[in-house]
Amino acid sequence: MNKFLRTLIPSDIAKGLAITGKHFCKVFFTANRRKVPFHIVSEYPEVVAKVQPRYRGRLTLLKDEQGEIKCVCCLACEKICPTQVITIEKGKKEGRKMPYPVRYDFEMERCIFCEFCVESCGFDSIILNHQFELATYNREDFSLGMEGLGQNMFEPSPVGKFSVADD
Amino acid sequence: MFKNEEMEINLGPQHPSTHGVLRVKLRLDGETITHCKPVIGYLHRGVEKICENQTFFQGQVWTDRMDYCSAVANNLGWAEANEKLFGITVPRRAQYIRTLLNEFNRLASHLIWLATHALDIGAMTVFLYAFREREDILDMNEAFCGSRLTTTAFRIGGLREDMPPGFEKMARKFLAKFPTCLEEYENLLSENRIWKKRTVGVAMLSAEDAIALGVTGPVLRAAGVPYDIRKAFPYAAYAEMDFEVPTQTAADTYARYLVRMAEMRQSARIIQQCLDGMPEGPVMAKIPKILKPEVNEVYHATEAPKGELGYYLVGEKGSTNPYRFHVRAPGFINLQSLPKMAEGGLIADIVAAIGTLDIVLGEIDR
Repeated sequence: MNKFLRTLIPSDIAKGLAITGKHFCKVFFTANRRKVPFHIVSEYPEVVAKVQPRYRGRLTLLKDEQGEIKCVCCLACEKICPTQVITIEKGKKEGRKMPYPVRYDFEMERCIFCEFCVESCGFDSIILNHQFELATYNREDFSLGMEGLGQNMFEPSPVGKFSVADD
Repeated sequence: MFKNEEMEINLGPQHPSTHGVLRVKLRLDGETITHCKPVIGYLHRGVEKICENQTFFQGQVWTDRMDYCSAVANNLGWAEANEKLFGITVPRRAQYIRTLLNEFNRLASHLIWLATHALDIGAMTVFLYAFREREDILDMNEAFCGSRLTTTAFRIGGLREDMPPGFEKMARKFLAKFPTCLEEYENLLSENRIWKKRTVGVAMLSAEDAIALGVTGPVLRAAGVPYDIRKAFPYAAYAEMDFEVPTQTAADTYARYLVRMAEMRQSARIIQQCLDGMPEGPVMAKIPKILKPEVNEVYHATEAPKGELGYYLVGEKGSTNPYRFHVRAPGFINLQSLPKMAEGGLIADIVAAIGTLDIVLGEIDR
């Protein structure tokens, strides 16, 4: 008898529907009334996504206060890199005791963003910045170096401008 | 006029409910499966070989990419296997933080299992709710390690950095709301008649078969064998934690669901204990810049969310690379029980059987 009743009245399904209903009402009746909405989704391309301070984004070369490149070509980052994406060419610059990187090539295509290079750097001359929108239309744009207008190792990649927000 | 013959079909490799690129060759008699053969290798990258060509420090990043749903558990196994090889003792605080992160990772992995398994069987709501909670865990991963999935969380000898400010608050906030969320999932599924029709008595695997096939993890525990490496061979800080190993005896899909739900409760308990009893001190042991082992071999097993994850490392004298590296991936070994589960059943139930094994193809093919 009990089993028959349970088959007739779908109480288990009603229980599930009550939960979805509760969540629906919570969002529906408080829409635009609360300062902090219940929504767990964010409107990403329009609203800029925040990342945590330790986020590992694209590799960037740093300069010191005088505008000099901090890198001294110790090749520690080149050696530790698991995918061998960094190539450095040592050189000299007048008026500078330390070696100077003539070339610092970074192939972003194959980079796995592990931050081992930053960890191995004893001179704090590279960081991984907070940029995560790294898609481009051309494959060449993934090869970063010390030269080039928008595609160099000192500034964020310009690819962010292709997002919907700028239309 | 009507011929009575068997039909051969492929399930996958691009089927949404094979959880990746698994191809299953099926021979059907009507709707009954008479023969089932999983075909793997579509995601093979040669992780073991790559690691043999790299130093012990560099190898960790490849373990991230094996079981991408539980990267922290993979990192833990790798780091501990190396520490065993070089005889490094990890500071106590680092052990606690490792345990903490590992249990959060177990929650994330079980949540993604619950979400996708329920979605395969036809419960859409749980998928969205479980991903909502998983998002919080991934945010914590990002706050601690800097990345959401490919964490590279640990270093040989400890951790790279201590907990970031605000991490403990995030963790406690998550723990406060998590039991309510678990109740929500259970209210949606445990008594639901559709869920029970699809899971009770489906894809049976008895304890004898499970042991004979080498199956570990929740699938084994749902058959009534209380084997958990965290209890049997404690590693990290598990020896100091108070938790239970949930088991069931029914050995079907529903029992595995119950085991995993109970495991999530235990994980939350372990995290609570880690947070409360967190010791002070350094997080990194003193290790040499270049690690060179004497000829030595180690096997280190850890309890990954999917089962026993073992790392076998052979060191070569005077070399900075491992001579041989092998992974005992839980998904790979568990997958061989699929024919046993599916043969004789209906074709609709193979989706439940694949889902209940909780496989990740990145780990199976490596």
